[in-house]
Amino acid sequence: MVVLPGDSTKAGRPPLGHLSRGTLLKGSIAGLGALAGAAVGTTELAASPNAHGSAATDKEILTFGLLIERLQAAFYAEALRSAHLTGEAHQFAKVVGGHEQEHAKFLESALGPAAGKSPQFKFGDAVTDPAKFLATAISLEEAGLGVYNGQGVNLTPATLAAAAKIVSVEARHTAWARALAKELPAPVAVDVPVSVSQAKHTFQQFIVS
Amino acid sequence: MTGGGVRSLRLDDFDVDGAVRDTFEAMQHHTRSGFLRQTAGAGLAALGAAAVWPSEASAAASSDVTILNFALSLEYLQASFYTEAERIGALHGALKQQADVVGMHERAHVKAFKQLLGSKAIKEPKFDFHGVTESANTFRSTAVAFEDLATAAYKGQAPMITSRSYLAGALAVHSVEARHAAWIRRLAGFLPAAKAFDEPLNAHEVVNLVNSTHFVTLRDPETSARTSPHFTG
Repeated sequence: MVVLPGDSTKAGRPPLGHLSRGTLLKGSIAGLGALAGAAVGTTELAASPNAHGSAATDKEILTFGLLIERLQAAFYAEALRSAHLTGEAHQFAKVVGGHEQEHAKFLESALGPAAGKSPQFKFGDAVTDPAKFLATAISLEEAGLGVYNGQGVNLTPATLAAAAKIVSVEARHTAWARALAKELPAPVAVDVPVSVSQAKHTFQQFIVS
Repeated sequence: MTGGGVRSLRLDDFDVDGAVRDTFEAMQHHTRSGFLRQTAGAGLAALGAAAVWPSEASAAASSDVTILNFALSLEYLQASFYTEAERIGALHGALKQQADVVGMHERAHVKAFKQLLGSKAIKEPKFDFHGVTESANTFRSTAVAFEDLATAAYKGQAPMITSRSYLAGALAVHSVEARHAAWIRRLAGFLPAAKAFDEPLNAHEVVNLVNSTHFVTLRDPETSARTSPHFTG
């Protein structure tokens, strides 16, 4: 079992641990709470400091984003080989898998040598059983979208502008996967961000080396 | 339909085949000065004139207010559209479900932005959807255009937001608009996610597109057509 980038217990990997809770997510949750809260009738909005990030933080967040994109790209590629997908599910895996590869390439080029090599992944029956495939796709897409949303406030404006082009595509993937599973594509009015530690929990199980 | 990351958004990306498409295309023939002249007299005030020239906002806080009002105007537009579709009742099945759920979301966005803005919130303009809510086909194509447009608009504004809270809120709405876009595109027979990268639209482009539909009507033509008053005192 490998340690995700950001686990500060492993040397040689960029630490993301300090992104995982508390300070960096506070702004995000406060803002969301304000918007979501307003939607249900409360008006409270805490005064909050202004954005925005640093090159070092950008790099850490994009590195985590790259891991997500690599994992998703590998997931769809394997499912296309092994899950005997047909019809729209096949189209979904093919189109979305292609997007994830493009996202990974984009982030690799943005990070340069810091991108490093992709870990190895193992998806078990999530890429052989069509029903499991769809459930896993939803979980991976929701976690990826949620963590991008949560970390967006920590990016510099230029990097946010670039990342936002990916984020809404992830949201489209999520909606598509949910529609295929006969779930509401957009279940809530305001998307809830996912913390880095929550996202790690979702992704960790598929990383073998 | 794989696309690069740097191409700007084109009308084709909307794949709209209906009322909105015609008006969007007509817009392309307008010169820039023609656009400015036209928008000064029609619809612009209703959409929040300040949003079109964000550089005029000096303080950080006021530019955030401008952006939130810009977002509010788009939410007014969408909420009104879905609410009218629901009231008219021409939709059935999966399409009706989409309109009902998404309409609820857009109304929640309106309410949220209005409460965040308080007394600074712009008033709701009057809309005339020229009958596009009265049939499934025109509803679908208009909804596809609105949702792709809203996604691109939030994406264009988000990097300019200075407050972390407002930014977090805008991002959380941005991705919901993208979900809406994917949802209605699928129901309209388009790929829910047609490209690997979604391009932003700036405020000029968004207002231009919206005005070209003539969905925004003037609340008060005489006062709306007037330029800002000069303060001499």
